[in-house]
Amino acid sequence: MLACGVRQPNGKCLGYGDDKIYPAEKIEKLLKQFSELHEPLAAAEFSPRWTTWAFEYGHIRFVPRADKWLLLLIVSPETEAALELDRVANDFLPPTK
Amino acid sequence: MAKEKKSEHERRILIVDDDADYLATIGDSFRALSEGRWQMCAAASAEAALKILQTEAIELVVADINMPGQDGIQFIGELHRRHPQIKKVVMTALASEEKNAASRAAGANLFLEKPVSPEGLKSVFEKLCELIDWKNTQGFQGVLRSVGLPDLLQMECVGKNSSILELFHEHPLGRIYIDQGQITHAVCGEIFGERAFQKLFTITGGTFELLDFEVPPERTISRPWEVLLAEALRQREQLAQRAQAGKKILTDDETAAAPAGQTAEMLISSGAGEVLYHWQCADAAARVTLLQAVAQRAEKLIPELQLGKLDRVEMQLPVGRAVLQPRADRLVFVRVAAPTEKNES
Repeated sequence: MLACGVRQPNGKCLGYGDDKIYPAEKIEKLLKQFSELHEPLAAAEFSPRWTTWAFEYGHIRFVPRADKWLLLLIVSPETEAALELDRVANDFLPPTK
Repeated sequence: MAKEKKSEHERRILIVDDDADYLATIGDSFRALSEGRWQMCAAASAEAALKILQTEAIELVVADINMPGQDGIQFIGELHRRHPQIKKVVMTALASEEKNAASRAAGANLFLEKPVSPEGLKSVFEKLCELIDWKNTQGFQGVLRSVGLPDLLQMECVGKNSSILELFHEHPLGRIYIDQGQITHAVCGEIFGERAFQKLFTITGGTFELLDFEVPPERTISRPWEVLLAEALRQREQLAQRAQAGKKILTDDETAAAPAGQTAEMLISSGAGEVLYHWQCADAAARVTLLQAVAQRAEKLIPELQLGKLDRVEMQLPVGRAVLQPRADRLVFVRVAAPTEKNES
């Protein structure tokens, strides 16, 4: 896991970066930026439960909740952390009926 | 560029990679493995490679993906339009099924991972030898670990050939019928159609043989081969991931009971937004707009993230999933209708 962050409905953010590249302020900024990136996808009839942005050297999982909580996870591809993304995202989301 | 004197039985091979050390290593290795029969040409960029192709009779081009300027997949696409007869291989250190599918869609005959050991180098060399020697002759035999089933299928379909591909693994396993470049029928034991095709695709060992074409007893497959191949590659990757993660692999009966997870819609457009191909896409313009919006927004973030180029965006939907690939020259959207993880333990 390279970094992770959560944004609360009141706008407060909690972030943890396992690398100097991802200080808390940057994670807060990324949460906002990925929230904006998510907008066209959410608006296009899909209502994704989560999105994964797969870059060459890192995968970013963005999980929005209906109650406005947001989760952002950044992992290196093909690592144990990458295999855990679905489980963590499912834990973050409220159970489906 | 490094070029050598032409001799009698030589083959001219062009390697395109921006890593000078890699070019030198692979050039020396292939020259040695071919005992001097391969004359190696090298180019550090797609632009340099195209110049070489204007003057040299190249038989095979092997290109990296990540290069400054035009990337390897764009280059292969351009090469395929200009020189369709040249055999083309994409070789990358960061292989994925998406890159594999994109490379094949661009016209690559083979998609390989860069070797990292002498054994790997020899294996790659043998695959390239098979590809160079490949001719449209009947009775071709191969081993699935070498020139793979996807590669052979693509060669047959792109060449608009008619043949029957018979697969063996100790005993005959099944047949895939190709009629003028279209897959029309598949049989695997008592299974027919696309399910048989997908099942045959999960075979990781064994041999195959190309037989003379005969009209199949019935036509059970109608979707385009590109769609079938992309879907089969995705399913194979999912199986591999499940196996790697220690998850349960579905039996035939469970697969039949579970939602098929088949492609529900697919769209490919040019970077400028011109729709090149779409299948069951109710609103192609809306998909293109979405892809362009995602590409534009992601482009701004890429320098800041320092995670390299964006390969794809995957969406987990309430039912099924979707993948977007926003590239400079091509935008791809694929939606799979049914959840593929339903029976996950």
